[in-house]
Amino acid sequence: MKLLRSWLQDWIDLTDIDDDDLSTALESLGFEIEDYKLINPDYKNIIVGKVIEIYPHPNADKVRVTKVDVGNKIYEIVCGAWNFEEGAIVPVALPNSYIKDSFKIDKRDIRGVESNGMICSASELNLWDEHDGILILDESFKIGSDFSKSYISSDSYWEVGVTPNRGDCMSYLGIARELSTYFNKNLNKIENPLNPKLKPVLKVNSGKSKLCSSYQSIEIENISIKDSSFLIKYRLSNIGVRIINNVVDYTNYVLHDIGQPLHAFDRDKLYGTISVRKAKEGEKLKTLDEQIRTLDNDDLIITDNNEPIALAGVMGGFDTEVTNETVNLLIESAYFDKVSIMKTSRKLNLISDASVRFERGIDRNIQAYGLKRFTNLYELDENIQYSEISDSSKQTESENYITFEISLIESILGQVIDNKFITSTLKSLSIESEIKKDTIKFKQPSWRYDLERPIDLIEEIAKHYGFNNFKSTLPIGNNLNKVGNYWNVRKYFIDKLSLEKFNETQSLSFTQKEYNEFFDPDKEGVKVLNPIDQTQEYLRTNLYYSLIKTYKFNYDQNGFSGKYFEINNIYNNSTNKKYKKIPKQDYTLGFLVPDNNSNINPMQYIASLLRKIIPGVSFDQLSKPGFHQNNSYLIMVDNKLIGHTGQLSYLLKEELNLSENLFLSQIYLEELNLEGLNTSNYKPLSHYPFIKFDLSFKVDRDLNANDLIQEVENLLQNNENSIKVFDDYAFEKTRNLGIRIITRSYEKTYNEKENTEILNMIVDKLTSKFNITLNEKGE
Amino acid sequence: MPELNLDKILASLDLRISEVTLPDEYDQISKDYLGKDSLLAEERKKLPTLSNEDKKTYGKKLTELSKEIESKIESSQKQFILDTFQKKEREEFTDITIDWNRNEGSYKHILSSVMDEVVNIFSSIGYEVAYGPEAETSWHNFDALNTPDWHPARYESDTIYLNSDLETLLRTQTSTVQIRHMEQNDPPVYIVAPGRVFRSDQLDATHSPVFHQLEGLAIDKNLSFTDLKGTLEYFTKEFFGENIETKFIPHFFPFTEPSAEVLVKWNDGSWLEILGCGMVDPNVLENVGYSKEYKGFAWGVGIERLAMLRYKIDHIKNFYENDIRFLEQF
Repeated sequence: MKLLRSWLQDWIDLTDIDDDDLSTALESLGFEIEDYKLINPDYKNIIVGKVIEIYPHPNADKVRVTKVDVGNKIYEIVCGAWNFEEGAIVPVALPNSYIKDSFKIDKRDIRGVESNGMICSASELNLWDEHDGILILDESFKIGSDFSKSYISSDSYWEVGVTPNRGDCMSYLGIARELSTYFNKNLNKIENPLNPKLKPVLKVNSGKSKLCSSYQSIEIENISIKDSSFLIKYRLSNIGVRIINNVVDYTNYVLHDIGQPLHAFDRDKLYGTISVRKAKEGEKLKTLDEQIRTLDNDDLIITDNNEPIALAGVMGGFDTEVTNETVNLLIESAYFDKVSIMKTSRKLNLISDASVRFERGIDRNIQAYGLKRFTNLYELDENIQYSEISDSSKQTESENYITFEISLIESILGQVIDNKFITSTLKSLSIESEIKKDTIKFKQPSWRYDLERPIDLIEEIAKHYGFNNFKSTLPIGNNLNKVGNYWNVRKYFIDKLSLEKFNETQSLSFTQKEYNEFFDPDKEGVKVLNPIDQTQEYLRTNLYYSLIKTYKFNYDQNGFSGKYFEINNIYNNSTNKKYKKIPKQDYTLGFLVPDNNSNINPMQYIASLLRKIIPGVSFDQLSKPGFHQNNSYLIMVDNKLIGHTGQLSYLLKEELNLSENLFLSQIYLEELNLEGLNTSNYKPLSHYPFIKFDLSFKVDRDLNANDLIQEVENLLQNNENSIKVFDDYAFEKTRNLGIRIITRSYEKTYNEKENTEILNMIVDKLTSKFNITLNEKGE
Repeated sequence: MPELNLDKILASLDLRISEVTLPDEYDQISKDYLGKDSLLAEERKKLPTLSNEDKKTYGKKLTELSKEIESKIESSQKQFILDTFQKKEREEFTDITIDWNRNEGSYKHILSSVMDEVVNIFSSIGYEVAYGPEAETSWHNFDALNTPDWHPARYESDTIYLNSDLETLLRTQTSTVQIRHMEQNDPPVYIVAPGRVFRSDQLDATHSPVFHQLEGLAIDKNLSFTDLKGTLEYFTKEFFGENIETKFIPHFFPFTEPSAEVLVKWNDGSWLEILGCGMVDPNVLENVGYSKEYKGFAWGVGIERLAMLRYKIDHIKNFYENDIRFLEQF
């Protein structure tokens, strides 16, 4: 809603209230301030003058020479506009004045005639867009006076947001009503008396549909289509409404002023009864914008003789519109159903100032007032006559009182609000109410659709009391410093991986089908009904592709990349075991390690990292789509599948044009809990000296080193052990594996003999069990 | 009684010590001056031949000399080692201005860090983290939250739907978790729910189809509007600092009433909107079957917004492009 201070002044006296106070008031009433500015004349030294003589230019056909009286003197001015006659009152830029954009006006020779400045158009003075000619003023502008002082040329402008529940504040009247309560001032009453001289020619009928509860009209005869008054043009143009003519402008004016949309028909183009009904399926109507609209049974239309002439509340029809030739009008003022108007305007993508007001709900009792307000904007003379109002309103149920216990107010707001404050606030807002003992009752005003329940009234009271005037209290919840498993697991992995220098990423959840199918050809992806674009038609079934994309993006854009991880949901269309009706979604950790040729094999690095951060983890080799045939593993904990890790297949590496081998992993976090992750059993420390063996074996390529280590652990299970691979070297068909064993007894110091016995036992067992040979041993 | 030229011995020792170039030489010096072939040892051998009186005097003298030699060698040796190491240290230099690990950040994504910080603030006053699905039913995202089916928010231009009857969608707000949580848990409830939400917007400087919110919900027997104020003022102080000014202005959300927006006063004097909140609408509590004695409040805060404010990040796109130059800064 766009507001001018001078327009608000019609409804509430703001003379002792400055702009800052007004801004504070608007904001505290819930109107978010989106824009605020001062309006000042964009011109200097413009004088009001009267054209007293016009004669042809001796050397030019397209311009005329005028004599203009500016009070104390008469000047000769050359003028190119033809829209005025002798006697016209006009704004004059004499030499040494400025029009818009600080353009200086001086004496100028125009084809041999000296022009003493210029006569100005509205757009040259930056008032409004009007290029038809110069601005013609009315008699209220005094000849010789300073133009900028002849009207309110300095003003303040606000653009405020009105929340969707407050349709009643989509007008000056509505905003002023709120302000009058805030500032404790009276809301001015603007009377618009009617003195009809005619009987209406046409009948109106609001029809059978409940979607129109009131259809009223007034007929006006013998108007001439011309410019609106200066004031109307000033006000409308400054709130961004395009100036058209005295019919269109005045309907727009009433709409912004009091919130009642009006529609003007050329009465002479109408025949029969004007009525309201739902459109028939496929019925057609040519709207004002000259488009043929095909309607359906949800659309509400205005008809005459049962033929569509307008889309109710949304747009008028082309065939009945007001043109420059129009002399007789029928002005419609109706109440249409909110939801119906909303559906039609959205469906046809026709959103207008009128439709927006209907869909938020206009005052149910303001239709006649709208017609009176419109009629009174004309300077009536003997020629212009108007009819009485034709009213076809349906009986609506009168609103009942809503009653509730007054203690509910304190219970919701946490503070006692004085009864006097409550009654005076409600009275000022024209909300009928009564407090009796412990209860309060109220009635919904015809413009307040948001006041249906006790809580609605409590909100109203709280808002006018001022949210910032309430005290603050801090309740403490149930679980101090316990975030719960979901968040703990997430934090655990973020902490561990960030310490390992993985960059955490966040990528969009959308992808293309083919990228899902690289890794999950057998999973049905979740398709988006209304995708943002073709590359975002599916939800991702895995995090792998997002990670590769990030890796590649940085490699290509920045010349370097790194290790990445992301924790987010992945989706597919299989059954969601937890929730009904929605696709399966798994909260998942994905991470990527590139092979950047360091000494450490990335697959071993990942396995060892996972062993470190997920206690009890084990791996089962299994080939998977998109991955290396051998270098691909299921990740298990206690025989439960928790994820997958592996090397990207060489084929995908080539297809995706990657220069390094990538290793990708995914872990389903919902399968884990922090208690499991934090388990690590204390191993008591032996106080006896250690003995140490370095053993090197010749082994098969496919031997799992861990099997050897486990075997040694078994043999030495009563000791404190540290058993590690210290070397793994493969050359052609041979492979050497070095194992370092450090062990201590919990009971004694081993002597030389025992030392040798243990060594022999280990070597004998390993060589026989695994069919390997000992290369060398060291101690 | 034999006479020994003590001065001469000590002078020769000093000379030897001064000529040392390697630490091992001290062992030889010890041997030469104190060992069994040393001058001192030679003199000791003479002792049995002396009178008791002389034995005592001369013996004492030799012992003193031995101690003096020992201490001279020892202190010189210590000094020599010290000098050697200090010389080595003086020759060593590290250019600590070289930063081999050029990533200045924490490796955590800024959105994760901000979410975690907000979660910690609320967990310190007793809120637990709850979560719910991102692909949701329209009922949980709209109807249960008092948003009727004609409401503009439900149009396909804003909401991403997953099936043609518009029954499933990508949640447009984390408020869905309120419903999910209350369906499964009895009151009292004190939860926060950080997570992803979705809108039908192309990714650009100011829009993203994906962004993050943190939802909060408190339902108990005696909660009121002043509690809502106190809780969110506690949050703004914890997050932005003790001196931050906060104000509440009326707003409208279908699922809360009264509803408010919270603004904080920024360094430049302007007021910036940081979250929406309100008392949970009675219809919402009714939709999940809570008894009338329970009421409470809820709020939703945009995580990107907090991050953008605090770190002066100007493009939403930065959060989702994963440009390593951006990631490394936080």
